Amino acid sequence: MKFRGGYNIALKGRPNSEVKTLPEPDALYLPLQTSRFSFSEVCVEDGQQVSLGEVLAKDPNNHSVPLLAPRAGLVRLKTAENHIVLEDIAEAPKHLHDVEQTAPHIAQQMGSGGILRYKLLTLGAWQFFYDAHSGSLPDPFKVPQAIIVSTISCEPFMARGDVQIRRDLQAFGRGLEGLQSLLEYEPIYLIVPDIASDFARRLRQNVRGYAWIKIVEVPLTYPNDNFTILARNLGLKPDNGPVWALRAEGVLAVDRALTESKPCTERIISIGGPAVKTAEHVETLCGYPLSQITHSYVHKDDVRVINGGVFTGRVIGPDQLGLDSECMGLTILPEATKREFLSFARAGWQKRSYSSLCYLSALRGTLEEAPTTAVQGEVRACVSCNYCEEVCPAGIMPHLIHKFLYKDDLDEAERARVDLCVGCGLCSFVCPSKIELAAQFADAQARILREHHSEGVTQ
Amino acid sequence: MKALLNLFEKLRPGFEKGGKFTAFRPVFDAAEHVFFAPSTRTKQLPHIRDPLDIKRFMSMVILALLPVLLAAAHFFGLRVLLIIAVSYAAGGAAEVLFAIIRKEPINEGFLVTGLIFPLILPPTVPLWMVAAGIVFGVVVGKELFGGTGRNLFNPALVGRCFLSLSYPATMSAVWLKPGAGFLGRIFQYVNASDLQAITSATPLVLAKQGQLANLSDLFFGSIAGCAGETSALAILLGGLFLLISRVANWRTVVSILGSFTILAAVLHYTRPVTFGPVIWHLFAGGLFFGAFYMATDPVTSPTTNGGKWAYGLLIGTATVLIRNLTGYVEGVTFAILLGNICAPVIDEVVYRFRLRRLRDER
Repeated sequence: MKFRGGYNIALKGRPNSEVKTLPEPDALYLPLQTSRFSFSEVCVEDGQQVSLGEVLAKDPNNHSVPLLAPRAGLVRLKTAENHIVLEDIAEAPKHLHDVEQTAPHIAQQMGSGGILRYKLLTLGAWQFFYDAHSGSLPDPFKVPQAIIVSTISCEPFMARGDVQIRRDLQAFGRGLEGLQSLLEYEPIYLIVPDIASDFARRLRQNVRGYAWIKIVEVPLTYPNDNFTILARNLGLKPDNGPVWALRAEGVLAVDRALTESKPCTERIISIGGPAVKTAEHVETLCGYPLSQITHSYVHKDDVRVINGGVFTGRVIGPDQLGLDSECMGLTILPEATKREFLSFARAGWQKRSYSSLCYLSALRGTLEEAPTTAVQGEVRACVSCNYCEEVCPAGIMPHLIHKFLYKDDLDEAERARVDLCVGCGLCSFVCPSKIELAAQFADAQARILREHHSEGVTQ
Repeated sequence: MKALLNLFEKLRPGFEKGGKFTAFRPVFDAAEHVFFAPSTRTKQLPHIRDPLDIKRFMSMVILALLPVLLAAAHFFGLRVLLIIAVSYAAGGAAEVLFAIIRKEPINEGFLVTGLIFPLILPPTVPLWMVAAGIVFGVVVGKELFGGTGRNLFNPALVGRCFLSLSYPATMSAVWLKPGAGFLGRIFQYVNASDLQAITSATPLVLAKQGQLANLSDLFFGSIAGCAGETSALAILLGGLFLLISRVANWRTVVSILGSFTILAAVLHYTRPVTFGPVIWHLFAGGLFFGAFYMATDPVTSPTTNGGKWAYGLLIGTATVLIRNLTGYVEGVTFAILLGNICAPVIDEVVYRFRLRRLRDER
């Protein structure tokens, strides 16, 4: 498989491969809004006692994907806005979810494959699935043309697949079998790193017997783990049906839901970044209070807490109190405060640049840079240095699209295929003129979609 | 350092909206940001950015020009430094004036233009001519197009072209003989008045008269010519640095020198008497300086990598043709300007191909 562009950055604060468990919290704050879901249909009442795995809310626009109670506890709806708060939590009797009994009509309607899908959806494993092309939640009751399972994560400070699987390689194998039972003859692509590590060897050994799994080796360069890039490079066109994609964690969730029939409310996430004391992976619950995490991990005052990685993660504002159900990792970056004296003339022992030799750090071999949220320069006109095109994994020409958007020519930008942009952010990262390329493209994509939508309505 | 920062903070209100010197805001900002990088935070994705900015980008070019600058001072004396000072002062004034009128930040690109321009002038050029040339170059070559990043032509070359068309005698007839020995002219200031005794001709002029300059002189730079173009060694040092640091694109340089070599070789081996040998042609005149420092200007060369090959091919070929088959002895200036004209068209062709391939991608 041939990848275009891409660029790796070595940053200080990479999580190590140990998995810790966070101390049991006093209360859980479950946000009703996540990056993909909006759990607007609340299914519980204020003051109600719920057991572990009970449905707290649903997202009516996303196949009624449920927000499950990670612990038993007392529901508070008014304590915090846009959150369901669970108090007096306890690991109450495990509530076994027997789908065949609770919903016999589903078994009748959809057969065994249908039950599996229903189980995945109601036990919270479905939210680990992505549509590879659009990134949205796929329709569980359709058959995909292929499933992509990615064990790699290339974005700095994100939870690593090998860490998540290492705990239970057998569960991963069972999960893959579970995935296969959803399919007829469609392939499952297992994305593994192209390195000779002990883990990669064991993983390969484990899936050797599965003929329906196609192992694909991928170089560990950001953003090769991007589902859209993977689907495009595997030649899976959106016209031939949906492509489901999930990460290592998703496979483990599938196993949990199908083999054990238990709700999937625990996740292994990463806590990393230069402002973190010890960067590591932790096993935690959805709704875990953020203040407790920042209190024990962050050692700087002025920080930006990011839900996700440094490239694609979203800032967590002060009104979000707990980990949301989609969180894959927290990145904590120090905010930029320092004004560097004569920065353009500095030797740059601490700075690593895409344009390698512009700083003396190029002589330092492996330098782990400690980034802040600084833009590191002033905005200028594009000087056509072509760096953005070199790093672009989608093979488009960011500088050209930028020039079209600068003169507000949306049609030309569309013809230059702004829609192929996967939003990895590398172009904005390398741009010496500090132009917000990725943000402009996301905006243009949204405008084009709106325009097409309104055209469809008028016709 | 702290005191300086405080001073800027104290002066700032005067330059902000409603202050006494609002018009001079670009000057204040430029001065402040030279000393203290702004601490702007990212508002959009991604949250972190590469440390390279345009200021650093341009200072890399200036750094790469240092060997050439030293060689120029060594061979042609202190007057080179005075020319640079005049170029910076006059060009800077034009740049600042336009920044104030347009209410846009002062562009760092000028610092490179202002340094490259003196290096492509004869070391004896009158100072008023330096000023006129750089102002013309900055205003007509750059500001009228909208400033750095939007200019079609290399501003330094526009200035030089203007001078050599307006004052052909000064620009191509009088050449200072380079200093000899270990120290060269490094401590000398050669005035235009004592020129008559020490003028000589450039290797390209001599060649038309049937004299070929010594190759080692050409390589080290002990020949008459424009201040910065004579020493191939110094240019190679700085130029390779530019290529490795990826500020300049190697494709342009390889393509220019490659196409130049091939065509010059073809000419030489068909009629060795009329056309000089290849190595000699490579080192003589402004080819190296043009290829490494001027043609690689990212703004005025094609953006795409494919386009850069075509662009280099055009410049290399045009240089050989102008040098050997026209009345001019030197052709790099015109060749690069020709390349600049064609760059957008070359890009357009490459875009067509690229977009056609992208069209069916899903």
